Amino acid sequence: MSVFDKFLAGWSFRGSTPAYAAGDVIEVMVTGDGDRPGEVVARIGDSTLRIADAPADAVNTRVVVEVESWDGSAHAGRATYRKTVGESAF
Amino acid sequence: MTETRDGAPPATDGGDPPDGSEFGVDDDASNGPRIEFRGGKWASTVPLVFFICWAIFQSGVLGIGDTNGLVAGALVGTTLGMFLVRGDWKAYADTIFEGMTQRVAATAIVAWLWAGMFAETLQVGGFVEGLIFAADALNVGAATFPAAAFVLCGLLATGIGTGYGATVAFVTLFFPAGVLIGANPVLLFAAILSGAVFGDNLAPVSDTTIVSAVTQDADIGGVVASRFKYAISAAVPALAAYLIAGSVMSGVALEGAVALRESANALGLVHLLSMGTVIVTAVAGRHIVEAISWGLLVAIAFNLLFGLSSASDIVAFTVTEAGALTGLPVVEVGETAGVGGSLYAGAVGFFPLIVLTLLIVAMAQIMIRGGGFEAIQAALLDRVATTVRRAELTMVLGTATINGMITINTAAEIAIAPYVARIGEKFNINGYRRANILDANTSALGYIFPWAGGVLVGYQVMVGPDGLGAEYGPEMVVNPIEVVPYVFHGWFLLAIFILAAITGFGREYIPDRASEEVSRA
Repeated sequence: MSVFDKFLAGWSFRGSTPAYAAGDVIEVMVTGDGDRPGEVVARIGDSTLRIADAPADAVNTRVVVEVESWDGSAHAGRATYRKTVGESAF
Repeated sequence: MTETRDGAPPATDGGDPPDGSEFGVDDDASNGPRIEFRGGKWASTVPLVFFICWAIFQSGVLGIGDTNGLVAGALVGTTLGMFLVRGDWKAYADTIFEGMTQRVAATAIVAWLWAGMFAETLQVGGFVEGLIFAADALNVGAATFPAAAFVLCGLLATGIGTGYGATVAFVTLFFPAGVLIGANPVLLFAAILSGAVFGDNLAPVSDTTIVSAVTQDADIGGVVASRFKYAISAAVPALAAYLIAGSVMSGVALEGAVALRESANALGLVHLLSMGTVIVTAVAGRHIVEAISWGLLVAIAFNLLFGLSSASDIVAFTVTEAGALTGLPVVEVGETAGVGGSLYAGAVGFFPLIVLTLLIVAMAQIMIRGGGFEAIQAALLDRVATTVRRAELTMVLGTATINGMITINTAAEIAIAPYVARIGEKFNINGYRRANILDANTSALGYIFPWAGGVLVGYQVMVGPDGLGAEYGPEMVVNPIEVVPYVFHGWFLLAIFILAAITGFGREYIPDRASEEVSRA
């Protein structure tokens, strides 16, 4: 991202329910455990992404995931864990 | 990826509050409490709560803006907490070390030391005098003086990174000149404080900018760039407000433009380039230490090249007796042996804040290991921050509250930073956005209320033994309570962030973009 782009980033009104599309590869913070074994949850704004095949200690880590499906009306989707790239700031 | 602007809210928005466990609260045994306290996990908050009470009493009630006093409060609080520990106290002592050795503290400390050297070198290089020349050259009159003070103090504070330093410099030099030519003293003092807010908020070398970035895991240059939109959105109406208020609020008719011209020096303006060097290199993604080092080299070169300062103003070794080495430009003979100069004074000036930071981070770690941190976080997430909008409002109002209570805004910022990080992360709010929310109120509230550190340091210049009041008379002393409504940039910055939390202006999520890992600091 150029210096100019950095100054222009975020000049918009962003909604509370971001949406993603199948095939998107994104970095997210894992915010909680899911309902099934090996599943964790990343809440992005007021949207929810359920991540399969995540490590047991994934909560509060930053992970790269590939979005498998997205339900625009429920603001929820499913994704597959790819790798861990960081952890919580605290 | 696509974006839904404001779609139907999920079940958590207006529906049942989310279960804390869904967001990682109390759900990981490996992160469970390691220190057992008498009185349960809430007792682990005693050190930090005691420190906050001390800070409120010292700064809010007694009006003493002494960072070393807060260090004493933090030491007492940390010691008190130990007596509440069940069993072996070693775990408690180990946690103090664990907290102090966290990267977040070390990173802030390193950046402060470099920023301090740079800021002091600009000061001795006549940057303030250059800005006064600019005001004189632009033929600023009584009505436009507050607006000019806001812009120029904002520039100085952006350059040197310390709003306190900019306030002292401008109240010492710019304020009396303005009052003497008829500017309203209350409005002028408020405009200087507004400029300090602007610089404290935006400067890459500002202590609060550095803390906001490193505690939210974001690079400083990126934070400054992402912060510009909020700063300018508040600064433009603030400038207009000072122009309007300046034309309707009259001052004391004294004639003294000569006082302004006496200290003016056009060459000091070359430090706009020194300042620009740091901002451009930092925003371009270079490490903050590298960015400030380049700016420091440019500033030293300008100082020596244009005769703005001597070599001994930058580094001075003072010896008590003349010898073979006293011919060197950086060796002087004086009554007391010692080291001085801008590099020395700039770094040393941050020592009290560095010690305080280490202690606050240690107290926060005690809360984390004792379970108090998660208890507060769970309460906030379960009952207050149940949607991203409410989470951001919680962060905005939480930082405003603690900064409204604690005089020394950097200390307040460090205390609230872990909550902003965790609450924001639970909604995947981007580190840049979190850093901006954290710093806006830290900067704004630190210069508005009568007990705020920024107001106190400026007021001290007026009422001190050799202050402006003693030199010029009572017209030069402003009652701090009168200033409160006129610190326009501070109020507008607070309003911008409340609106930003409600409307989503500037909101970014973690998936939107990552902080620059290589240059992070």
